[in-house]
Amino acid sequence: MKKFVSLALAGSLLVSLVGCGASSSAAPASAASGASSAASTSAEISLGVTAPLTGSLATYGESVQKGVTLAVDEINAAGGILDKQVKVTFEDDKGDSTEGANSFNKLVSEGVCAIIGSVTSGVTSGLATLTDENGMLLITPSGTADTLTEGHPSVFRACFNDSYQGSIAAEFAAKDLGAKKVAILYASSDPYSAGIAASFEAACKTYGLDVVAKESSSSMTDTDYSAQLTNIIAAGPDVIFAPYYYDTVGPYIVPQTRAAGYTGVLLGADGWDGTTDTMVDDKSLYNNTYFINHYAADNPSEEVQNFVTSFNAAYGSTPNAIAAMSYDAVYMIKTAIEKAGTDTTADIVTAMTGMEFSGVTGSFKLNDLNTPEKPAVVMEYVDGNLVFKASVGGNG
Amino acid sequence: MNPFLLFIQQLVNGLRVGSIYALVALGYTMVYGIIRLINFAHGDFIMVGGYTLAFTVPLMVAAGMPAWLAVVAAIITCAITGILVEKLAYSPVRRRGNRMSSLITAIAMSLLLENGAQVLFGANPRGVGTLFTLPNIGVFSGTTLLTIVLGALVMIALQLFVNKTKMGRGMRAVSEDKEAATLMGVHVNRTIAITFAVGSALAAVASLMYCAQYNQVTTTMGSMLGLKAFVAAVLGGIGVVPGAMLGGILIGVVESLSKAYIGTLTGGVITSAFSDAIVFAILIVVLLVKPAGILGSNAGEKV
Repeated sequence: MKKFVSLALAGSLLVSLVGCGASSSAAPASAASGASSAASTSAEISLGVTAPLTGSLATYGESVQKGVTLAVDEINAAGGILDKQVKVTFEDDKGDSTEGANSFNKLVSEGVCAIIGSVTSGVTSGLATLTDENGMLLITPSGTADTLTEGHPSVFRACFNDSYQGSIAAEFAAKDLGAKKVAILYASSDPYSAGIAASFEAACKTYGLDVVAKESSSSMTDTDYSAQLTNIIAAGPDVIFAPYYYDTVGPYIVPQTRAAGYTGVLLGADGWDGTTDTMVDDKSLYNNTYFINHYAADNPSEEVQNFVTSFNAAYGSTPNAIAAMSYDAVYMIKTAIEKAGTDTTADIVTAMTGMEFSGVTGSFKLNDLNTPEKPAVVMEYVDGNLVFKASVGGNG
Repeated sequence: MNPFLLFIQQLVNGLRVGSIYALVALGYTMVYGIIRLINFAHGDFIMVGGYTLAFTVPLMVAAGMPAWLAVVAAIITCAITGILVEKLAYSPVRRRGNRMSSLITAIAMSLLLENGAQVLFGANPRGVGTLFTLPNIGVFSGTTLLTIVLGALVMIALQLFVNKTKMGRGMRAVSEDKEAATLMGVHVNRTIAITFAVGSALAAVASLMYCAQYNQVTTTMGSMLGLKAFVAAVLGGIGVVPGAMLGGILIGVVESLSKAYIGTLTGGVITSAFSDAIVFAILIVVLLVKPAGILGSNAGEKV
């Protein structure tokens, strides 16, 4: 009996080993054939999108879907790319890394020539590793973590990265606000917050800002910052830089800063987008707060207003930053395909590397890390409403 | 700013946080004192109270009543949740298993409540609105003072309830010896259910003051809050009602002062981000040096 059991175990082990071997060797093969079959033989250009269409980040996924669909419809109505119509396949990654990998592999096996996605840095970093195997072109509309494009030559993004946000914030504080002394409040355990805080601090030297206090919290979801804020305010800063997410900024950081007697400027990064939904009843507390964002719907520039008008005509709502960057991502692929003269993935990657592009979220050239260097917008809260304040930075 | 004034300000910050911990720790200690169960779901009862407030405050305001009266709804919801959790989970397990299985059940209930709330209300945080408009008195905010006063009142009321009423005498009897209490005509199951109802109602009061202070509820708000209040209850002496009050205030002050000064004292090696680690290090030290806590004596006399 014992022998039988061990035999059965050995047998099942063998099967599972063979299974593993087969699947791991099959993945790159199908990927390679996928990439090559997307070459000019087909009559249409096939794009893939992976985004959180359901789950807690579903609003992000919906924005991606709307932005991409609008761009593709416009392109097809104007005759397509290289006289071919564009077809898009949407896959739902639920904002989860495993689901993201499944979506990615599915799209690759369907033979798309480029993939747009995903929304968050977390999911995208897993996909970036997958591109190393098959050279698939991946363009994330909104993943800002610096590492996403480092060492992954076929990963691009339509947004600036976190270290750029930090330096833009310092530039805005020095030039537009005329600040001399700044303080930093950040979560040292969180890569987003710590990354932006570090680049902000480094940029402060460049712009002659004096960092008078630097305090950290245990996590991004702490509820009480009064001890750190008391120290910060005692140091007398002109500006407090606090790179946190909207769920902390609205109810805790801003009201506690004001309660501690500070009336000066609070400055944040793109994680502040959405604070309008988490504000406490007294909206006047949020006056004199600013944050760096990718795009502003009330930016008076012509490109932005044309985009807002056509988006509104299609969906009856105002596009947010993620919709705008997804829209730009489609046009970035179009520009690269036209530059390459073919829709073979490898050629599009070559064409996109270092490409210049002009879209609704700015005109830019992709830098060595496949990341746009473009102006950021600074948003201001006035009595609880989001207002476009200024356009900062970018090398055009 | 003058360093002395800064120190006072940091003490006040500590009281602000500590007063909330104290209120939460009172509920912990009350339940532990009677049935010797560390109710890890207590923090999540506060979440249940918080969400009840978030939904009922707008109704109160619309009906022209003061917003804080929503606490009545929260107390009722929390008490019902407490009794349900006791009847459906703790009681069956207590009859069959040992104390360890009860403890694990408590952790399971905590996760169930958190994830259940996430399914019901979604992962996004929810605002609660303004509950009180209190003037500041000196360096103290009105809300902090009210929290401390409320904590003290609850503490006194609990002491009187446990020591002077018939039900309280029953609770103490159950706490000492369940079988003997049954023989003396104490309805043990009803006593335990009432203990849970009172403990959960305390969670509702704590959630009122938490929401007044922090204005937002999330489905996971109870976990860290509950853990820190647990440390507070152990520091003060778990099962001892005044100990919870003392422990809560102390933990708040230690947390605030460590956030404020640890960076300067250690030359930046340990930063304010370590404040949570310091709070939990206190738990280890207490368990090593004086396991019964500051006000705790030997286990037999605990109430």
